Amino acid sequence: MNKTQLLQGTLDLLILRILELGPNHGWGISSRLQQMSKEGLKTSQGSLYPALHRLEMRGEVKSEMTASENNRRARVYTITRAGRKRLTQETETWEAFALSMRRVLGEGR
Amino acid sequence: MIARLLASLRGLLRRRRIEDEIADELRDHLEREIEAHRLRGVPLEEARRLALRDLGGLTQTFESTRAVRATWVDTLWRDISYAARVLRRSPRFTVTALTLLVLGIGSTSAIFSIAHAVLVRPLPYPDARRLVFLSGFEGVGVVWPNFEEWRQRARSFEGLAGTLADAVIVTSGPIPRRFESRGVTSNFFQVLGVRPVQGRLFDDADARPDAVQTVVVSHSFWMRELGGAPAAIGQTIAISRKPFIVIGVLPPGFRYMTPADVYRLLEPQVAANYRGMQSRNTRTTLFVIGRLKTGVSATAARAEMQTIADAVATEYGVTAKGTDVQLVALADRVVGDMAPTLTVVAGAVLLLLLIACVNLAGLLLNKSASRTHEFRIRAAIGGSRRALIRQLLIEQALLVVTGGVLGALAGAAILTALVSVAPREMPRLDEIRLNVAVLSWTTLFSCACAFLFGILPAIRASGVSGHGLVVRSVRGATRSSTAMRRALMLAEIAVATVLLSGAGLMVHTMVRLARVDPGFNPHNLQTVMFSLSGAEWPDARKQVFYDAVVERLRVLPEVENAALTYSLPMLGSNWWQVFNMPGITAEHWVSVGEFPNAGMVPVTAGYFDTLRIPLLKGRYFDRTDTPASLPVAIVNGSVARKYWPNDDAIGKQIRQGLPSEPFGPWRTIIGVVGDIKQEGVDQKMPPQVYLPAVQVPRTTMFAIARTRGTVSPSSIEAAIHDLDRTIPVFNDRTVDQVMRESSSRRRIAMVVLSVFGVVAVLLAAIGVYGVIAQGVAERRQEISVRMALGATGAQILRLFLRHGLIAAAVGVAVGIVAAMAAARSLASLVFGVTVTDPATLGSVAALLTVVTLLACYVPARAATRVDPLEALRLE
Repeated sequence: MNKTQLLQGTLDLLILRILELGPNHGWGISSRLQQMSKEGLKTSQGSLYPALHRLEMRGEVKSEMTASENNRRARVYTITRAGRKRLTQETETWEAFALSMRRVLGEGR
Repeated sequence: MIARLLASLRGLLRRRRIEDEIADELRDHLEREIEAHRLRGVPLEEARRLALRDLGGLTQTFESTRAVRATWVDTLWRDISYAARVLRRSPRFTVTALTLLVLGIGSTSAIFSIAHAVLVRPLPYPDARRLVFLSGFEGVGVVWPNFEEWRQRARSFEGLAGTLADAVIVTSGPIPRRFESRGVTSNFFQVLGVRPVQGRLFDDADARPDAVQTVVVSHSFWMRELGGAPAAIGQTIAISRKPFIVIGVLPPGFRYMTPADVYRLLEPQVAANYRGMQSRNTRTTLFVIGRLKTGVSATAARAEMQTIADAVATEYGVTAKGTDVQLVALADRVVGDMAPTLTVVAGAVLLLLLIACVNLAGLLLNKSASRTHEFRIRAAIGGSRRALIRQLLIEQALLVVTGGVLGALAGAAILTALVSVAPREMPRLDEIRLNVAVLSWTTLFSCACAFLFGILPAIRASGVSGHGLVVRSVRGATRSSTAMRRALMLAEIAVATVLLSGAGLMVHTMVRLARVDPGFNPHNLQTVMFSLSGAEWPDARKQVFYDAVVERLRVLPEVENAALTYSLPMLGSNWWQVFNMPGITAEHWVSVGEFPNAGMVPVTAGYFDTLRIPLLKGRYFDRTDTPASLPVAIVNGSVARKYWPNDDAIGKQIRQGLPSEPFGPWRTIIGVVGDIKQEGVDQKMPPQVYLPAVQVPRTTMFAIARTRGTVSPSSIEAAIHDLDRTIPVFNDRTVDQVMRESSSRRRIAMVVLSVFGVVAVLLAAIGVYGVIAQGVAERRQEISVRMALGATGAQILRLFLRHGLIAAAVGVAVGIVAAMAAARSLASLVFGVTVTDPATLGSVAALLTVVTLLACYVPARAATRVDPLEALRLE
């Protein structure tokens, strides 16, 4: 399995997982994503930001503009209670799904 | 919902801040990414490139992120401001499209509002569909005795009421004044279903012979003459010097046919045998309105009335008037002879709307063809098809809504202008308002047109996948819209041909009418009417007064000559009568089929000099003709030629009335004068017998003054009032005015058709120019290749002129055929020219061909100046 396109909806899950580890900004999330998946999953950075903003609109993350070095402004995202709840729920769903997939594919081998 | 709206509004205010934040956020991301690459040893330029690539383009990511944040208000606002920017960027397109919309919507709404108010809208009476109008043979009224028979026998109606328009002299102030009045039967208002705003309306008790005389007045009369106070009810006013009690006031704006201020009962007038109304031979006839019983059709009622009229004819002899009956819906009768004019005008407007829409369509087609490239690019870079179509819809909507608003304003302005120049006799003028339904329809029509021609081609174009983004395919896709544009161009030429033909016919008509010789000099003739009624005006006093008036007028410095007449030229004959000749029996005339008849016109000496009617033979009336002298008459050429074709009419004798019922003495013919257009410029010159007014005095006369230049009518009125202050003087106007008023229907048709015809030709020329210019623009490369291969300018010119010539030929041919079909609606308006006049149609065809070729020539000429080197540069 080489660089796989992210399945629809999994991006949200990954973002929430990363933010569960602590508040982070967009670029940080993007590089964590690559690290965590050991370069196996490569998200298009272009779709990261709309996803982040969508999560914020749904109240699953919140954000704050902070001053960063070199007189730049960065937006730092924090996971909310609702975000944690969704992460728990969807992780379970995902694991159940992944389990069934493994079973099916394992049996076929 | 309100909370959402408020949130959206807040979002709108916060939009700027959000956008700034997103931009900062993305910039921060890029900086960090570049730093990361740099740390790995990537050169700055390469790092920057990689960072941008991985982000998927700064602008695109910015847009998609912002889209997440945007609410529907944001989106709509953005789309509208984008649309406004697009429209502003091509001002020529926008201004042209708006002009077309304003022209189309404005003029159409205005004209259709008039047509609707006059033709379509129900009459302002309750349940007006059951109201019918009845008259006798050939639309002449019915005499009172027959009306009574109708009323007793007819079973189809809830009520039948008679009415008669009149004018009366009312004294409610120091000077008696003349007011329009209407004689009505006591059930008239009941049949119409009108209720008073003050007092009560007539009932049967008012019509009893012993009842006091009562009168119902209009709202405006009540306001102006009676002070608008409730106390006016019960007040007495004098009508023709007799007392009448005001019993009721009609609602404001009440109107039946012509407006009137005073409504009197007919029954007492009949009882007094006013104008011989008890007789079946009187010329005073009534018109009748009826309210059909529920469930009775007009056809059934007409059949019943015909049976009754036949029975009446059998019982009272065939000479009785009213042996035939006509029954039409009251609404049809009210519209009367304005209908053909309005049909023509409405047709012209419809054609103009059509041509404006066709032009708009062509414009939008051009626009969308030239934007195909833009649409494809947007589709290629991921713009969704829905967003694209929404964007287009918003653009068109912005255009049409702006056009609609401006069009409505223009419509109101045009309507005001038209109403102010409309003839006063136009029915229901005061009821005309800009019609919202009409306005909506025309706007809807324009919207449909915009959608059909602006959006559909774009949808088609955007449907092609973004991969087809090659120059060649862009060019290919416009081919079908080119065909459509050519078809529209043909349609425009055809419609312009129809309008211009109509205009040509009407202009021709007006020229013919202006060239008609009326038989006298109609210019600088000022006229007023005056009335010498009542017992204190015996014939002898009238005769003296006639002389005094003429003398008084002649001494006015601005008056060249003056005379009195009973019938004003151009206004018709007030007294049409049979006459007979000595020694010829009634049987002879019956065998000929017609008794001699003519308009009888009592005039004072000097009438012919004043009007400049030429003397053909004998002499004019003069001072030697007195009440006591030999009874004389002057006949016009028509009478002389008809009755004494081989003989001299001078010295012959005639007598008014049938041989069995003579009226007045035998009169000797002393002169023959030229025929004049007594009944109107477009009418035949009627046979006329002039009588000396001193020998045949009448109550109401016209004073005519031949003036030097224009004269204030009040000076003539004052001259008469100098002689007697109590005489009512009214209806001042010039003969020129009378003529203008009589041709007003034609003038409306001519002005509307001419203006619209010229506009249509301009629009068609613009349309043709647009299509050919577009063709030239699209084929520049082809042209340059041709020129590079040795084609001459003339050959290129011919290539494009051929298109124009074909368009002109087909368009004009179709237009002429359509014009000939449409011209039938002009039949009642044209004069002195047939509706298929070859000269008119031929010159219209020639003119349109020239205009079309000219509109082709300009862009085609530009094509010949294409640089052959362009062929190399373009590909």
